[in-house]
Amino acid sequence: MGGHSNWPEWIYIGIVIALMTWVGAEAWNVERLVEHIPADAEVIKVTGQQWFWSFEHEDGTKEIGELHVEAGKAYKFEIYSKDVNHSFNIHDYVVLMDAVPGRVNTVWFAPDKAGEHDIQCREYCGLIHYNMRGKLIVEEPSS
Amino acid sequence: MVLELQKPRPIWQIMFSTHHTDVGLLYLIMSLGFLFLGGALALAIRAELFLPGAQFIGDAMTFNRMFTVHGTTLIFLFLLPFASAVGNYFVPIMVRYKDMAYPKLNAIAFWMIPPAGALIWLGFADFTWYATPPYSIISAPGPAADMWIFGLKILGISSILGAINFIVTILKCKHPDMSIGQVPLLAWSFLSSSLIVLVAIPTFAAALLMLLTDRLGVSGFFNPAMGGDPIAYAHLFWFTFHPEVYVLVIPAIGMMYEIIPRFSRKPIFSYNSGVFAFVLLSVVSFSSWAHHMYATGMSFTEKTVFMVGTLAAVPASAMHVFNFIATMWNGRIKFATPMMWAVGGIALFFSAGAGGVVNSAMPLDFSTHDTYWVVGHFHLFVMGTIAFGSIGYLYYMFPYVTGRMYNEKLGVIHFILSFIGTILVFFTQHILGLYGMPRRIFDYPPIPEWIAMNQIATVGAMIIGVSMAIFLANIIYSSGKGKIANTDDPFGLGGKYYYPFEQKNPHH
Amino acid sequence: MTSMVGLFLVLAVLIIIPAADYVFAAGDEPGEYVDRRVLIWNLFFRMMTVAFTVGAVVSGTMIWLVWRFRESHPKATPTPYEKEGVW
Repeated sequence: MGGHSNWPEWIYIGIVIALMTWVGAEAWNVERLVEHIPADAEVIKVTGQQWFWSFEHEDGTKEIGELHVEAGKAYKFEIYSKDVNHSFNIHDYVVLMDAVPGRVNTVWFAPDKAGEHDIQCREYCGLIHYNMRGKLIVEEPSS
Repeated sequence: MVLELQKPRPIWQIMFSTHHTDVGLLYLIMSLGFLFLGGALALAIRAELFLPGAQFIGDAMTFNRMFTVHGTTLIFLFLLPFASAVGNYFVPIMVRYKDMAYPKLNAIAFWMIPPAGALIWLGFADFTWYATPPYSIISAPGPAADMWIFGLKILGISSILGAINFIVTILKCKHPDMSIGQVPLLAWSFLSSSLIVLVAIPTFAAALLMLLTDRLGVSGFFNPAMGGDPIAYAHLFWFTFHPEVYVLVIPAIGMMYEIIPRFSRKPIFSYNSGVFAFVLLSVVSFSSWAHHMYATGMSFTEKTVFMVGTLAAVPASAMHVFNFIATMWNGRIKFATPMMWAVGGIALFFSAGAGGVVNSAMPLDFSTHDTYWVVGHFHLFVMGTIAFGSIGYLYYMFPYVTGRMYNEKLGVIHFILSFIGTILVFFTQHILGLYGMPRRIFDYPPIPEWIAMNQIATVGAMIIGVSMAIFLANIIYSSGKGKIANTDDPFGLGGKYYYPFEQKNPHH
Repeated sequence: MTSMVGLFLVLAVLIIIPAADYVFAAGDEPGEYVDRRVLIWNLFFRMMTVAFTVGAVVSGTMIWLVWRFRESHPKATPTPYEKEGVW
């Protein structure tokens, strides 16, 4: 079987490698953009514990299960966990970051329109993982 | 080849035998048993998710235990032992040796699995097959969790023993007339996957011990309260279990390499590229483990490195697909049941791979990670590719093992139903993931899209369930009462091509 | 010789990692308010366009292959290997 011409396979492999390079480059570029945290982003401390989310704003306001933010501002979440791994997720805004005890993970977003969105836990964390949910309430800008 | 069921022997003769076909038969029967047990759990899970709210299973704890045992069973007690069954039957014959290199070790490796399976099933742990610390350390109820850890420990040792046996059999016991470049691709697939096992498993074995001592409270490797790092466990776990994916998929591809040329009535398009792709896959399988951990707070550089490492596995997989297509090209293909399963497996292999590319592309992972997309993606691999290849091979080896033919019509129905079911369940789960449904949840809010998708998936799962019941009836009935197979050419392909029970292999 | 190769490998890795870190690191300067949703979903749909195109080609090829080279196809001819009966 050796010795037969194999150029279609080489062309095919070349196409596959080119496609994968394109995928990698595009993904790299988008990730670079979305990871870029604006300097004026307000910090919100997010704490996950079995089985609810609590939030602390920069001005010291605390919320449990609900998070109020304003449209048109950038927010940087600092994500903590008190017990086991959780994953902080606002699916509508593609915000996802694990809450790992002993670590602080950050992710940022800038809501653009007023509205209500679901917050959920996406990492298995035990008995009531399925109901570790919260609400993100985006309000009209106050000023 | 021994035709076990044509020459009845007392069961204990098979059970205490160390002959490779006997051990293979034991592996085969046990793995199929666990396939049906694990599958039953899957049906229960799907039934529960048919509607929001608790209907069928009743409480979240039971549900969590069920999906944990479902995953553990089908990966470690069905797919791996099934591959070992095929390897035990065929590797010694393919390298023309009388048995495995270490027959007793072989039997020991098999007999470690039933107690491990018993530990997993009697314990019924709830911390997912990933056993994430710190949940598995501080929160998971014992003794289930400890039993799971011991079970996996035993399974790990069994895999390592099996891997050593395969490597020695292929490299050292092959017939002196045969060079390594003449060993059939199925044996090459076992060589590559065994090498991966040997490199990958010890890492997880160590992590399991650390997890156990953490649970006992004497150490704090992964317990943040004692200064440990849960992410360290994630690295150790995925360093073993990303390559483990290839341990599962490589033998399945090797099985397709047996089936497809046979039924296309053509030799493999390129033996060399098959070998090259196997070796390449087993090397690059170690370059991608942390793509499971993008969301744990990895740096941009780390993510980039592991994305590139993941994408690097694509060309090697694509080479196999090319090889299959080029082998079928200009052939005269007989679509008997094994061929249908193999071709169906290749067709789904592409979708599974494409989903994997999306997962590994960094920003997209944040919309798909830990959602049903991931569930759909890896099930498309383990069910759509690996189990399809394996079941195809089971039909292919059925006449050799039993001396009888399975019922062809039922085999075809089994394939068609399974193919439709697989597409319904796992393609739908991809979409469900895009709607944001997290995995491993017992209940979900009544969002109309989620309900619709879950119901389609459940219907698909039931179709697979029906097809598997047909399969079970077919193999049980046919192995006792089926038509006697023409062992010279059970599939009516013509030609004196290689059949495993022949002494002489015209390939060599 | 092998040890030299090893040495160079280690050196190469030591140079490559910081260089990669430097090149790949997201800049420190503050970014503007990009919309994650738009960027990520656009990327997703771009990739899906390509994936479905490639998927159509691959599965189209396979469907044609399965249809054309089945043994019951009117133009099916025995493969050259069938004469010897060995493949």
